[in-house]
Order: sequence, then C-alpha cells, then structure tokens
Amino acid sequence: MNKSALSPLDEPRMSEEMGRVGLTRARLAARLASPEFSIFALAAAAFGLFALLTQGFDSPFNLFSLARSAAVNILIGLAMMSVIVSGGLDLSVGAIGVCASMASGAAMQLLGWPVAPAVIVALLVGAALGFLNGQIIARSGLHSFVVTLGTMSLFFGGMIILTRGQPFDSLPDAFSDPMRWRIGRWLSPMLPLTFVVAAALAYLYRLTDLGRGMLAVGANSQAALLSGISVRRMITLSHALAGLLAALAATLLAMRNGAAITSMAGDLGQDWLLPGFLAPILGGTALEGGRVAVWGTVFAALLVTIINSGLLLLHVGDFWVQFFLGVLLLSAVLIDHLRKHLLAKRRPSA
Amino acid sequence: MSIWRRNEAWIGLAAIDSLVFVLLGLLHPSFFSSFNIFVLLNTIALSTMIALGQMVVIAVGQMNLSLGSIGGLAAVIFAGAMQTIGLPPVLAVLLALCLGLVCGLINGFFTARIGISAFIVTLATFAAYKGINLGLTAAQPLYGIPASVKLAGSASVIGPVPWLLVPSLVITLLVWFVLARLPLGRQILAVGGNRQASELAGVSPNRIVILTHALSGVIAAAAGIMAVARLQVGQPTIGDDWLIPSFTAPIIGGAVLSGGRVGVAGTVCGVILVSLITQALVVFRVDPYYVQFALGCMILCAVGANRLRMGRRLGAG
Amino acid sequence: MSMTRRPVPEGGRTLRQRISAAVLALSLAMLPFTVPSAAALAAGTGSAKIAIVAGGPHPYFASWPQAGRDATRDFHLGAADFKAPQSWSLSQQNDLIESLASQGYNAFLIFPGDPTGTRNVVAELADQDIPTIALAGCLQDPSKAAFCFATDTEASAYLGTKALIKAIGGKGRIAHFTGFLTDPGTALRMRGVKRAVDETHGSVTLVQTIADIDAPEAAQDKISAFLATQGKNVDGIITTAWIPATVTATALRKIGDKRIRMIGLNDDPTILNGIKDGFVTGTMVQNPYGQAYAGSYMLGQLIAGCKVKADAPWLKTPQTDRFIDSGSLYVDESNITTYAAAISKITQSIVSSFDKTYVTCP
Repeated sequence: MNKSALSPLDEPRMSEEMGRVGLTRARLAARLASPEFSIFALAAAAFGLFALLTQGFDSPFNLFSLARSAAVNILIGLAMMSVIVSGGLDLSVGAIGVCASMASGAAMQLLGWPVAPAVIVALLVGAALGFLNGQIIARSGLHSFVVTLGTMSLFFGGMIILTRGQPFDSLPDAFSDPMRWRIGRWLSPMLPLTFVVAAALAYLYRLTDLGRGMLAVGANSQAALLSGISVRRMITLSHALAGLLAALAATLLAMRNGAAITSMAGDLGQDWLLPGFLAPILGGTALEGGRVAVWGTVFAALLVTIINSGLLLLHVGDFWVQFFLGVLLLSAVLIDHLRKHLLAKRRPSA
Repeated sequence: MSIWRRNEAWIGLAAIDSLVFVLLGLLHPSFFSSFNIFVLLNTIALSTMIALGQMVVIAVGQMNLSLGSIGGLAAVIFAGAMQTIGLPPVLAVLLALCLGLVCGLINGFFTARIGISAFIVTLATFAAYKGINLGLTAAQPLYGIPASVKLAGSASVIGPVPWLLVPSLVITLLVWFVLARLPLGRQILAVGGNRQASELAGVSPNRIVILTHALSGVIAAAAGIMAVARLQVGQPTIGDDWLIPSFTAPIIGGAVLSGGRVGVAGTVCGVILVSLITQALVVFRVDPYYVQFALGCMILCAVGANRLRMGRRLGAG
Repeated sequence: MSMTRRPVPEGGRTLRQRISAAVLALSLAMLPFTVPSAAALAAGTGSAKIAIVAGGPHPYFASWPQAGRDATRDFHLGAADFKAPQSWSLSQQNDLIESLASQGYNAFLIFPGDPTGTRNVVAELADQDIPTIALAGCLQDPSKAAFCFATDTEASAYLGTKALIKAIGGKGRIAHFTGFLTDPGTALRMRGVKRAVDETHGSVTLVQTIADIDAPEAAQDKISAFLATQGKNVDGIITTAWIPATVTATALRKIGDKRIRMIGLNDDPTILNGIKDGFVTGTMVQNPYGQAYAGSYMLGQLIAGCKVKADAPWLKTPQTDRFIDSGSLYVDESNITTYAAAISKITQSIVSSFDKTYVTCP
C-alpha cells in the first residue's frame, strides 16, 4: 500500500463506515485519494489542457522532446528525494552531476574508453562524491544544507581547475545515439528507463531494511539510533545514492547534448536546484524526512516538464513564461492542499 | 538560550575577522587605504541586508527562497518608477519598499494561512516574482537613474564610510533591537524554537510567520534599492545570485536552520568574513580558476571551526 | 512546517474559502496568458519562417526583435521572430528550439547556449531539413550549422588590446576583465589579449586577469577591490565582457581617474559617456542589429534554394572553418558620432555581397 495521507488504521474504519461495500472499494478510494494519484491526475489534466489549447503539443516531435526532458528532470528529482527522505538537503547535486559527466567525458576522449565503462565511471564518481558528502555530514554533525553549500563550490571549483572550463566534445557517436532512439513514433527509451529506476527505488524504500532504515533516520534519528540503526551509515548511503542518481541524470543530459560541458547545470550546478526540490515536494515527499513518495516525485517531475513545454507552445509572451510557471506551480500545490484538506475533513472526527 | 552562549558565538567570529583583516593588511598595505575600506564597507552594507533578510525567516525555522527575486523586482520597480513616470526618489523608495512588503505578505499568507510549507511557497514565488521582473523589463537595464540616487550609492559620509552604510546600519540595529529587546522578537524566536509550546503560551504562530515574511520582503526590497544605487543602473539581474550568500553568512554566524536561534551580531560577522575573503582572492591574484574551489574550502572551514568550538564548550559545560 | 490541527467544521470552511479564493485569483491572473498572442506567426508573404533564438536574457539581444521585423519587411520573408529562453540554461534553450520547430518555424538563427552542447539540437533540425546559422556566437566544428555569422571575439579582443597598448604609449602594465570561465569564448578572448601583449616583446605586461564577472555584483565587488588595491600598479585595463566594461567605466568615473586607460566593449551609454568625458579611451563595438538583420536575409536565401559554397572566402577561427565576420569597430572620441552610420554601412555591404560571395543560387 502507498504511504499515503491515510494510515493503515483508517482503512478498516472507512470500510466499516461504508458498510458492506468491501475492503477493495475502500482500498481503491484510498489509492485515488493519495498524493501520488492526485499529482498523476494533475499531470494528465495539464497534458490534456495543453493538447487542446495549442497546436503541436501532441505532435510526435514534441512528445519526443518532452519524453527526453522529463527523463532528466525525473532523475534529478529522484536524486534530491533520496537525500530528503533521510532528513537532509543536498545543494550539490548539480555540481556532482557535472563532475561525474566530465569524468566520463575524460575517460572517453582522453583515455579512449568505450561508452559503457565510461558511463560506469560517471556513476562511480557520482556515488563517490555523494559518499564524501555523507561522510562529512555524518561525522561532523553539521547540517547538510551547510555542508553541501560548501561542497557545491568545492566540487565545481575542483572540476573547473582540472578541466579549465573546456568541454569534451569529441565523444564517440555511440554515446549520443541512445538519445535518438524512438519506440514507436515518439517514446524515447530514456523515459521507461527512469521508470525502472523509480521502481527500484520504490522497492528499496518499501521492502528492504536499508531503505526502511533511511526512512527511519529521516523520521527520527534519535529513535533510529536507539533501535540499533547506524545513523551514520544511512546518511552516508543516502547521499551516495543521490550522487549516483545525479550522475545518471547528467549522463543522459550529456548524451542529449552530444558533449560533456561544464555549464550543463548552470554555475555551481544551481540550475538543478529548482527541479530537484520541486519534484519530490510536489509529489508528496515530506521535507523533514521520514516519508517518501517515489511515484509522486516521478509524476510531479512530469507535471513540471509538461507545464514548461505547454507554456512554450502557447505563444506566451517571451518573458512572462517564468511568472506563469510560478503561478501554475502554486496553483498545483494549492489544489493538492485542498485535496488533502477535504480528505481530512471526510475522516471520522479525530 | 543563555546570553553567554549566544555572545560567545560571535565573539570568536569577530576575532577571526579581525585576524584576517590585519593579516591582509600586513601582506598588502594598500588594503588599508581609504578607498579600499570604502569599497569593503560598501560591499558589507549590501551583503548585510541580504543576510538579514534571510536570517529573520530562519529565526522562525523557515526559508525564503524568493529573497533575490523580491530584491530584483523591487530594484526594477524603483528604477522604473523614476524613469518612466518621473517619480521623485523618496517616493520611489517608498513604493519599492511597499512592494517588498506585499511580496512578503503573499509569501506569509500562503505559508501561514493556507498551510503550505514555506519552502514550496517561496520556491514558486521565486519563479513568479522573477517572472514579473523579466516580463516588465524584457531583460533590459534601466538607465534613467536620477543623480541624487547615484550620489547616494557612491558618496561617503566621512572618508572611507560610504553613505549606503547608514541605511544598512539603521536596519541592522532595528532588527537587532526587535529580536533582542522587544516581545515581538522573543515571540519570533519562540515560534521558531518550539511552535507548539509558543502556541500554548498564547502566541499566534500564524501572525508571527506572516509578519516575519513581510519583514523579510521589506529588507529584500531595501537591499534591491541599495543595489540600484550602488550599480547606478536598474539591472533586472539584481538578486539572481543572492540565494547562497543569504544563507552563508547567517549560518557562519551560528544560526540554526530549524529556527529559534539566530544572532544579528554573528550574521554581521559572517558577512564581514565572506566579504574579506572575496576581496582577498582578488588582491592576492588567485588564479581565477581556483576562486570557487577556495571559497568552498573556506565555507567548510569556517563552519567546521564554529562547530568545533561549540562542541568543545558543550562537552565541557 | 506541518499544519496545526484545527477543529474541522468551522476552521475547515474558512480554510476552504481561503484556498478557493486563492485558486480563483490565480486562475484569473493566468487567464490573459491563455489567449494565444496575436504575433504568433507573422503574416508575411514569404515561405521562410525564421526563429531568431537568443541564449538567454541579455541587453545584447535588445535590437534583435526590431531587426527581425525590418528584415521580414525588407526581404519579404514569412516571419523572423525573436525568442529567448527565460534564463541562460542550455536545457531551456534546447526545449525552446524543439518547441519552435514543432510550431512550424523552418529556419533558425541561434546564439548557441553552448558551442558544443547546442550541436546536437542543430543536427536534429538539419535532419528535418531545417537550416541553421549560428549567430553572434559559433558552434564548435564539426556541426550541421550552415555557417557562423558573428564577431570574431579573439580578433576583437586582440584589436582592443592593441588600441590600449597604443593608448598607454607602448609600454606599461595592463589588466584584463572578462566573462564566465565556463564560456569557452572567454578562453578565446584571453588568447587575443595575450597575443597582442606578446607582440610587444615584453614592453607591456599583463599583470592580472579577473574572470567570472559578467554579473553586476560580482563585477562591482571585484573591480572595486582591484582598483582600490592595485589601481596604482596598472596603466591600462582591457574589458572583454559587457558588464565588467560598464562597471569599470563607472568606477573610473567615480574615483575621477583619467590616468588609467580603459577599453570597453559595446556601446552601452555608460561607456559612450565615459568616452565623451575622458574616462574611457575607446570601446570595441559589435553589430548586433546587423547580425540579426543580415542573418535573416541569409536564411531567406537558403530557404529559397541557395546552396552554400564550400570554396567561399570563409574565415577560420579556432571554433569553425566557415565564419563570416559581422563587423566590429573601434570607437573613440574621433568617431563617436559617426560609428553608427559606419556599422550600418558594413551591414548593407554584407547583405549585398552575400549572394555572389558565399552561395550559389538557382
């Protein structure tokens, strides 16, 4: 069952209340009322709205472009989510992503390695940098916001020193080819790939001790410690996981660009902060930690990508797009909040 | 929260600041020149506003990610009002400050009254306010700044003391006064420290949160106005890079992100440290490729040192 | 950050009212934007529907919208519309370009968000038979852009530095203020400056380069710090980015310094006034209007069936082998009133000579 707004205790009460309707109806109602579904519904609604109001939104070319952008945004969101669930924040996801991508670029261009090992290099670098973050945070006891504020400059600056700002642009064609594949007329295989990653994460948090340990640390680190969980290990591993996912996102982006460039995520990697936080939080992952909504994150990232694409096609005056985006996002959050509130109202009095 | 614990945090920092300052001067005598002190104080004046704007929100345990966007919007409204409708500078200042107030109130309303996390609200308004800015200016800078404003941004009161330091000092003292001496300040810190307890004690957390966000908005607007005066141009990009500095200084100064513990003195010392370091990197001709790396190291060292000192004291006490 | 519990009946209604009111207000705010803007695809007569895509918000592109409109009128194009991503983000520019292609634009003038990162999207356009010209900035070869039409940044930095060296009398110490390190163009500018300095065989030395300051506050802080502590040690400053140029001009005026010679970039009023009042020695002016105007003409020709000549007199830069210089001019007090006309003549000559020099037309 989803970790939704309803606790497991509510189900039997609801079905009792509904009389003979049966447990399945109650479960269905609960699932429909979950944050995941409401974000999914919002995303579908936005999609339908834009398809109606614009010409070209549901054209194969646009959908293809949408699918590829969404894949990257989803991964960035999942990366940030892994850190948020264990109670931290990671400002350095963008910087880690760029470092990982430049490392694999170096492997392919300077060392002549083939694509697959180079991608593994990227993932390893990402995980290692994330591991470093986690170790500093866990051992020093400093707040993750502060530490990643520092490591963001450290990682990005170190990368700039090593590369002197120069990109790796003579990469083998085999590297950027996957971004050109299509399933059918518009589906990029990158999107299903991110769904596979999301499914793996959902499995992690729901059914493995490791994942549950991370959630426990996020919910209440003292209690987790008392119950025998190594808080230090959980924090380190969740940051390493975030680094790994960030590296994957950066790899997809580099494939799309056909080159590993230092400005792929903005200065210091800042460009990834907005999508990174927006997706998990809109999707229902609590900022304080302890609760996770993997599919919510996925659908929220989809929602943001759809809105972005739709706005561009609506011929919205050049410079007003960002305003519109902010307002739309606020509306999406409001609607979700209303849903939660109505739901709480319908529950038997607490 | 004992008086001594709070004071000790910033005293140590002030000591580091003085050390760095003297060291830089010894290594490079022109560091102490009147013009350089002027430049340093000018930077500190503006950076302090940015840091304080964030600090007050940290006090209630929240964040204001739209700080830079509010500052930028206020800046272009300030410049635009004077340029397009010929509003006198004083009125334009009031207009921009009111705008900051409104932006802050909007943030506070959605956070407190509707109950969405401040993080999300200010993330959305960060985009929205920036969007209004871009929509109004189409990224074009506004050059029609009256001479009096330009003068305010570049003149000095006496010798190395820039005029811009005056409003900055006034606002800093006001914020300190509110937090340290007025009941309102205690309430702000109480809400940040323990929201439930403060509610039981009769404080209305919602009212406090809204007030805090409004205050943050006004300070952000003030910073935007000062930035226009300093740059002598209404740049739409003002505020774009405020996010990280707005957190760095309060955190170095000992603020706790969960709320309830901030220090104006600590924040100011943090601002001074960052400004000194940034200047030093130029003065010592650090290879431009090394600057960001060096800054990252320094942030970590500063916070680590701070933490060590607190840890030692906590262990001993 | 969680909501406090309220007794559901009464508080619920008020909260619901508040939320509904907020949603209503927001919907109203959004309404004007859902009406497709009238300037969607202009009603031109030609078949070329050109999208002029900037790299992000920047005053450099201010003249491009008008240039596009003038070109549509003068050359009977279908459309030449200016579009800009909301921020300097490569992903946003890629999304924008793909979106514009979906909307029916069949030719692109693009300022590359990144010389290597933009190549892929240009290749995708080429796969759909959509021609692209890199405008005001080049793609790194090999690329599927027809060619690059821009200012030669290395040459511009070189010429500017030579003018500076002349102004300080052929010997002394100079500093260089420039843009972002993640922009490979910055490295080109540094090369141009270095080349000019090297040619003096030691009479002139470059004492410091400050980069990453094409942003207002960073520029303000670092340039002021430099002038305060090192000002006495330099005789001249060459600036090769917009914001450092304007900030330096303002700073020199503030400290009343006419001893330090300064060369700026572009014709921002701050710099022109500085030249008039003696604080700025001169500036390297580019040709933004001409780039968009002539570029639109060139694309119109390509759409009409002209093919690019491989053996045309292309310039070679470190980035590309097919480069057309859009013209840059050194402006000081001697030509400050006439430079605009001079630049305009350059644009006209580019337009009139394009057909016979660079393409073969049916």
